[in-house]
Amino acid sequence: MKHLTWREAVAKTFIYLQIVFVLFLILFPIGWMGMSSFRYNVDITAYPPKLLAPVTGENYVNLVQINNFGRIAVNSVIIVTGSTGLGMLLGVPAAYAAARFKKQKWAFLILLARMSPGILFLIPWYMVALAVQMTDNYLTLILTHTVITMPVIVWLMISFFEELPPDMEESALMDGCSRFQVLWLIAIPLALPGIAVSAILSFIFSWNYFLFALVLAGSKTMPLTVAAFQFIGTSAVNWGGLMAAATVISIPPMILTMFVQRWLVRGLTAGAVKG
Amino acid sequence: MQGTQPRESWLSATDRLAPLLMLAPATIFTLLMIGFPFVYAGYLSLHKLTLGSPTPPIFVGLDNYFKALDDPVFWTALRVNLFFYAVGLLLELVLGTYIGILFGQPLRGVAVARVLAVFPAVIPSVAIGLVFAQMFDPAQGLFNFGLRALGQRPLAWLAAPNTVLQSLLLVEVWQWTPFIALIVMGAMQTLPTEPYEAAVIDGASGWQILRYLTLPLLRPAIVVAAMLRTVDLMRIFDSVYIMTQGGPINSSMTLNVYAFTQGFLFSQFGYASAIMLVLLALTALASASLGALRRRSSG
Repeated sequence: MKHLTWREAVAKTFIYLQIVFVLFLILFPIGWMGMSSFRYNVDITAYPPKLLAPVTGENYVNLVQINNFGRIAVNSVIIVTGSTGLGMLLGVPAAYAAARFKKQKWAFLILLARMSPGILFLIPWYMVALAVQMTDNYLTLILTHTVITMPVIVWLMISFFEELPPDMEESALMDGCSRFQVLWLIAIPLALPGIAVSAILSFIFSWNYFLFALVLAGSKTMPLTVAAFQFIGTSAVNWGGLMAAATVISIPPMILTMFVQRWLVRGLTAGAVKG
Repeated sequence: MQGTQPRESWLSATDRLAPLLMLAPATIFTLLMIGFPFVYAGYLSLHKLTLGSPTPPIFVGLDNYFKALDDPVFWTALRVNLFFYAVGLLLELVLGTYIGILFGQPLRGVAVARVLAVFPAVIPSVAIGLVFAQMFDPAQGLFNFGLRALGQRPLAWLAAPNTVLQSLLLVEVWQWTPFIALIVMGAMQTLPTEPYEAAVIDGASGWQILRYLTLPLLRPAIVVAAMLRTVDLMRIFDSVYIMTQGGPINSSMTLNVYAFTQGFLFSQFGYASAIMLVLLALTALASASLGALRRRSSG
């Protein structure tokens, strides 16, 4: 390592100080959330705020035993897995076709969902769901959440398919494979990392999405986000319980994000970068 | 070769259809889930209807749109929307660019900081709403404890019309600045090295390099970030609905929250659809102006 001059050392220290300060501001509310979730209410609302306080798992136990969060978590998993699976089923072949046959214009159609305010669709969906008695129904929630997941998958997979060298696919076509066989036997296995990234990002988006389930879910199918929101009204002063609920719904996306860090920009800006 | 001739022509026939067949399921899904509701919302916005009543919707022309013009809450919501959009976007862009450049530095340990810094943008808005509701609480919240410790007067935060917008803006900026920083960080990794070497040889100062080299090179990424945030800020819903539901006394009402209230609490589906179509038009206008800016900057 080369020797730093005085000036460079000071400049570097100054940059590190700024990074630490910014990181503190960004992480503070999340840290407060996690810390409070393991505390008693009296300690959360104590003045002056306590750095050290007795630790308790009570908030989490109550969440499962009283608020039935175990059952509700299953709802979240059903909706999120279903909408990710359906999004892949619809999105991956479409992305392959868009990438290989230069149908990017088509893919912009898919982006309409991203542009429009969700309530615009939610009103007609709600009226139809009422008419056919499909409110509080897993299928309804999976279909509506697929509107969120599919565009992300399509745009991510277009970029992954475009990165694949076309040579192998071309020789397979020469050998008499159909396009569908090429997609299934060659393109998808080669694009497996992309498939994993798309599935994970789609999972995060679907997990976080709040609005559709707020209206369309009922007591049977309610996902964690809606349950945590309704928890506010019923227990305005039970801060420990609320913070435990917030922590529970935040942990899966935080962990998954670490796996897809490298592709996060691509996923979050899906569709906007190329346009 | 000759023996495979018929098979090949059969194959080329399905292969001609292959792109269509691959695009069809996603297209049909989009038309059913987005296309149909879009048209139906347009139809609803021209009608008056009561949910559950046997009478069919009554055609009322543009009445729902005129109703908005006479509705003071609609104008409040529009003002709040534009406040969040203009002030929120500006703050997020400035802070996000700063953080993006800062965290984009090739320094030891920064990679870990980059991973942690995006957390606000990837956790559910409900969780964020719950945490900030705690910190904003006038009697028991952490923020007023902090003010008290500093000898300042406590604030009402979300509970008063004159502080609610700034409080919600704080949450919005905290949550989404990392998103812009992430995009800027990504662009920082792809910057060419030659202009920097040339600038150092020419004796440019750090500030000059930032102002005349880094920022112009980052401009396309910042415009992309601005476009994405425009779409999301215009339809701001989650944080407002979770923490205030538009209150107190409509002071934090946005168009999206207002349409939600009109539609799902008062069953005014025609009026709610009209409000949403107005919002969509405004969003399209804002995106189109940024799109024009982008073409100019890349051209």
